[in-house]
Amino acid sequence: MAPTISCMLLAVLISAGCKVITSSDQMCTEKEVNKTYNCEYLGLSKVPDFLPNTTEVLDFSFNFLPTIQNTTFRRLINLIFLDLTRCQINWLHEDTFQSQYQLSTIVLTGNPLIFMAETSLNGPTSLKHLFLTQIGISSLKFIPVHNLENLQSLYVGSNHITSIELPENFPTQNLKVLDFQNNAIHYLMKKDLDSLKQATNLSINLSGNDIKGIEPGAFHSKIFQKLNFGGTFDVSVIFQGLQNATIQSLWLGRFEDMEDKDIDSGMLQGLCEMTVESINLQKHYFSPISSTTFQCFTRLQELDLTATHLEELPSSIKGMSSLKKLVLTANHFGQLCQINAANFPSLTSLYIKSNTKKLDLGVACLESLENLQTLDLSHSNIEASDCCTLQLKNLHHLQSLNLSYNEPLGLQNQAFQETPQLVLLDLAFTNLHVNVPQSPFQNLPLLQFLNLSHCLLDTSNQRLLAGLLDLRHLNLQGNRFQDGRISKTNLLQTVGSLEILILASCDLLSIDQQALHGLEKIHYVDLSHNRLTGNSIDALSHLKNIYLNLADNNIDIIPFHVLPTLSQQTTINLSHNPLDCTCSNIHFFMWFLENLQKFEGLEETVCTNPPLLRGVKLSDVKLVCGITAAAIFVLIVFLFLLIVLLIFFIKCLLRRKYQNI
Amino acid sequence: MEGLLSTLLAWALLYFGGSGQAWPTHTACREGGLEVLYQSCDPFQDLGFSIEQCSRTLKSNLNIRLGLILREDIKELFLDVALLTKGSSVLNFSYPVCESDQPKFSFCGRRKGEQFYYVGPVNNPGFEVPKGEYQVLLELYNGKKSTVACANATVICS
Repeated sequence: MAPTISCMLLAVLISAGCKVITSSDQMCTEKEVNKTYNCEYLGLSKVPDFLPNTTEVLDFSFNFLPTIQNTTFRRLINLIFLDLTRCQINWLHEDTFQSQYQLSTIVLTGNPLIFMAETSLNGPTSLKHLFLTQIGISSLKFIPVHNLENLQSLYVGSNHITSIELPENFPTQNLKVLDFQNNAIHYLMKKDLDSLKQATNLSINLSGNDIKGIEPGAFHSKIFQKLNFGGTFDVSVIFQGLQNATIQSLWLGRFEDMEDKDIDSGMLQGLCEMTVESINLQKHYFSPISSTTFQCFTRLQELDLTATHLEELPSSIKGMSSLKKLVLTANHFGQLCQINAANFPSLTSLYIKSNTKKLDLGVACLESLENLQTLDLSHSNIEASDCCTLQLKNLHHLQSLNLSYNEPLGLQNQAFQETPQLVLLDLAFTNLHVNVPQSPFQNLPLLQFLNLSHCLLDTSNQRLLAGLLDLRHLNLQGNRFQDGRISKTNLLQTVGSLEILILASCDLLSIDQQALHGLEKIHYVDLSHNRLTGNSIDALSHLKNIYLNLADNNIDIIPFHVLPTLSQQTTINLSHNPLDCTCSNIHFFMWFLENLQKFEGLEETVCTNPPLLRGVKLSDVKLVCGITAAAIFVLIVFLFLLIVLLIFFIKCLLRRKYQNI
Repeated sequence: MEGLLSTLLAWALLYFGGSGQAWPTHTACREGGLEVLYQSCDPFQDLGFSIEQCSRTLKSNLNIRLGLILREDIKELFLDVALLTKGSSVLNFSYPVCESDQPKFSFCGRRKGEQFYYVGPVNNPGFEVPKGEYQVLLELYNGKKSTVACANATVICS
């Protein structure tokens, strides 16, 4: 009978579990108490009663609301953001949002809308963002224009729209973003652009529309923030059509999945007749690139030639003397000198990331770039046995240098002496060879950020970080220390100005009590993913008000004497440690329960010992230690027996004494 | 009584287990000694996928067709591929499909809720598939590490 009963119990339990799962009321996730809720993919056909009236942000996407009307959201009068993506909405009836005065964003992406009533968007006093992406419309006249006076962005991508002309009464004075991605717009007429003339600083996205013609004069004296014509087959159509326009940023890149025409010098002539600050030509083929190709780029400030199949740039390019930013990412340069940097004397930023070939830095290839402030050479297979004095010659104003994800670099003393103004240096995942006791970063008195994560450093070199007088942020993640131990004398002693220190995943077993002395300004220490025990916390005893991450270590018992050290910190993360929940850790426990607000990651801060409590959250455990009733009983019995024995013994002794008389 | 209870238990277990329902296994291609089967491992949706012209000697720059509903914005999109044979890992790689500074494909920048349909090349190198059975785990995710698509594929080469 017993197995039957347990079977029944199990079945009842399981069915009960099902009930909870199918009951949708409790299933929305609360992201912010009483304000932000996510109810995605719940098959809901109405707003659940569980949602409070105070809800401000509601993600209700992928549910089932064929019709929405004034009763649908009536209760939620504080809504600011409402996402109704793919809710199979067909009808948007009159006054749907009439009580949502504060609503500023409505997302209706992917709904097969049949009709939006004239007053369906009435109510909100300041509706700013409207997403009508892929709702199957072919005309902008579908959108009710009442109450769009405050509209800042309109997203109508992936529809069947053929013209960007806005209806006559469409308010445009506050419009900043018009997104027409992936529609069927092939021609831009003068009347189309005239319908937008009240808008200022407008950005229009026409990517994926393949513009075949622009009426001459359509853009005459028009001013735009951004224009995106991505994937256009013939870019010369665009250049000709934009005559006399002023555009801050023009995006003309192509894509891998779209056919296009190679760019020759003639096609770029139109650029002479317009004012553009920044241009993107990613993935195009230039045939052939010559010194005159860019002759109309004279007023350009930023040029992006990402993945344009370049192996070199010609040596005497005319017209790029005022260029400030150049992006040459994902090209095929063999040597850095092949970019012929002398063409761009005003350059302040240069990006040559993800070069497909092994990039040889050569000697002084960038020496003409006296104003260069930012240089990104990451992911470019760079290898150098003696870096970087000759390679970075004359870059006296460089502030940010990224050499991360490269092949091994050998660094000597004062390796960056040509770039004394560096503020940020990123060498993550680049294997660094530094001989002991050399100091490669000497003479970088302004350096504030240094990323040396996964550099396979020789951390026994105590002079490694010498000379970094203003270093605030140091990342040493993934480097090993001798015997897994940071000893009393170590490389951190020369960087007393540190504020943020990351020593995660360094395979550390212990930290000497004195190891971090001298780091008085620190307020963030990440020691996660090591094998540290509770005793290592001693090393932080002189620090106050820090963020301390000790997640995923080997901490089981936290000794009584380190509790004051923990008490003086702001935030502590002890998650993923094999914490002991027995009476041997009682002092920590008592302190922990009083200081719950200090802790981060409480959901993952669980017991490992005793086995009975394995996986239970520490904050849910109530530990009662001291002498138990059973122990008291045993003690009393023991004492009683002892007294009986004593009396018996004295009795015997007395009897023997009197027997002798 | 006993029988009724065990039936009830079996039903409860089945019903409970059913909440993590599996999507059907589809054929992406079956031709020239090569068979590619796949199953969606995204609990929220199935996905449609086919490869044009598969054969043991895989051509470079294959054309594929892929259809699904986007669960997330894909301004940033990454592909992780893990190849296993007989339970041991052979190859793992991660490939950026869309990045904000380099949108490689025309679909980059599409939004949550849009129907995604791609027909076109995938820029793969050509190679000969050695005989055997392989498991391939493909995962597409965005910049916030949220799953966009997930597929467990089996490649049988005979």
